[in-house]
Amino acid sequence: MKGSYLKMLENVLSSLEVRENSLKLAHRYGYLPYMITRYIEMLGGEKEAEELLKSFEKPLKHHLRCNTLKVSDCRDLEERLERLGIQVDKLPWCDICYRVRGEGGVNLGATHEFLAGMYYLYRGAASLIPPIVLSPGPGDLVADLAAAPGGKVTHMAQLMGNEGGILASDINRERMRALRSNVERMGVRNAVLLRIDARRLPSIFQGFFAKVLLDAPCSGEGIIMIDPGRKKRTGIQNLLKFGRMQVELLNSAVEMTAEGGLILYTTCSIAPEEDEFVIAEVLRMREDVEIQEFEPPISMSRGITHYFGIDLPEEVKACRRLYPPIHGTEGFFLCLLKKV
Amino acid sequence: MSPEEGLRKSPKCWRDQQRIRREIARLFGKSQAEAALQGKVPYICGGRFMEAYLVSGDVLRIIDKIEASGRYPYSAGIYVGRLRRRKPALIPSVDFLTYLYSVLGRPLRALTVSESGLKPFLYGNDVLKASVIRCHPPIDEDEVVGVLGRDKVVYGVGLSKIASCRELRSLKPTDPVALNVFDVGWYVRGGTTLKERKFKLQG
Repeated sequence: MKGSYLKMLENVLSSLEVRENSLKLAHRYGYLPYMITRYIEMLGGEKEAEELLKSFEKPLKHHLRCNTLKVSDCRDLEERLERLGIQVDKLPWCDICYRVRGEGGVNLGATHEFLAGMYYLYRGAASLIPPIVLSPGPGDLVADLAAAPGGKVTHMAQLMGNEGGILASDINRERMRALRSNVERMGVRNAVLLRIDARRLPSIFQGFFAKVLLDAPCSGEGIIMIDPGRKKRTGIQNLLKFGRMQVELLNSAVEMTAEGGLILYTTCSIAPEEDEFVIAEVLRMREDVEIQEFEPPISMSRGITHYFGIDLPEEVKACRRLYPPIHGTEGFFLCLLKKV
Repeated sequence: MSPEEGLRKSPKCWRDQQRIRREIARLFGKSQAEAALQGKVPYICGGRFMEAYLVSGDVLRIIDKIEASGRYPYSAGIYVGRLRRRKPALIPSVDFLTYLYSVLGRPLRALTVSESGLKPFLYGNDVLKASVIRCHPPIDEDEVVGVLGRDKVVYGVGLSKIASCRELRSLKPTDPVALNVFDVGWYVRGGTTLKERKFKLQG
């Protein structure tokens, strides 16, 4: 068996040399210097890294999803929003999704329409993609392993027409409250909420689900425009710790999936340490899972297979990435796997 | 107590034989209760509060697995509402009322309020006579009522201060018709924090 990719990564990052150009950019944009060195390596140059840093300084446009569990015709919602002075444009790749062009001075998270569950509000477009890619149907049994606050669970319930069943788990007590609140508000009626460490779920649900979504807890290195505190929050050791936890979580997701079923691994991070390396490590450890090619609803970049001299398996290219300066969204990573 | 012990002390849940059916029938009528329960299994989780749910066969398959591991769900299926020992014995959830009214094709035990009355209601205030534009019987004093907007959307639950729709005629515009028990504004005010309890009734 090939050596551990996470171990190789740990060796590289532990002795990472921060170059002068990284220090300058880190100082100018307020980042930990090691992050900049990684961005230069990942993107191929200082210029590309600075483009990324600039994009993290720009606010994202809100997006919203019309909830057809509560709204029979999304044009009615469009009209209601227009009356409030909110201007929206339908996304070309999702007929229930909208980009908010103008908020009209209205708090989008406090309108009667929001409170009544007619729409779900997003900070950016990327979180709309995973349920579309996983595409659960009405009769499916599905799991979402880090479900709070519930954007993807409520979206999947909508795609399933409130039929079938969704296990929505999260470990955090406060986040469970938010999850339940959103599930009720959006009229989701096919979900079971469970507060548990997802790494314990395989002992309950071995090979049970047709589709499993793991939007893994991560450093958030794709959503710095939403939470600038992330510029300095995660040191190298913590980043590596995230990677090890993500491997455990993804192994759990695979265990819970029935033969022939699909697992979608996503993060709101552009860090290969939490993305391609996690996928490569799980592929190295297991023989019952393989990467699936998929057609993303919007143009996305391919997965990275070379990083600080470490070569990852070629099939990791089938994973997809969103980069803020290229795609105009938050940074995001998706990889579809099949249990074989 | 370790975090794992904390997780294991979830409230106990069970399949309910009578209580949910009885409370729905008492409020909305026997045939209406049967229509609401069609194809659903009544399910109760007890703890600090006793919460009622209706679950489908697929949802029950997931619950069965959870229970077999000695755990219980945080919530499941359609949230019917909170069961109480004193009146009102059931505080229905907004989603359950929405579901029920959809199954029945009309609202029951409800008040439709004007836009000008809905705004203060969504800030936690009571429903006043001046804002009621329609009353949907039956209505009983100190019993729950659904609060709807002109758009027929359920925005909350009140506690009726009138004994019948007819009694509305004798009220002054500023008299309270229903006290605010729950309004969907709570999703912003307290839905994600402990700032405000869910239902404004003790017990």
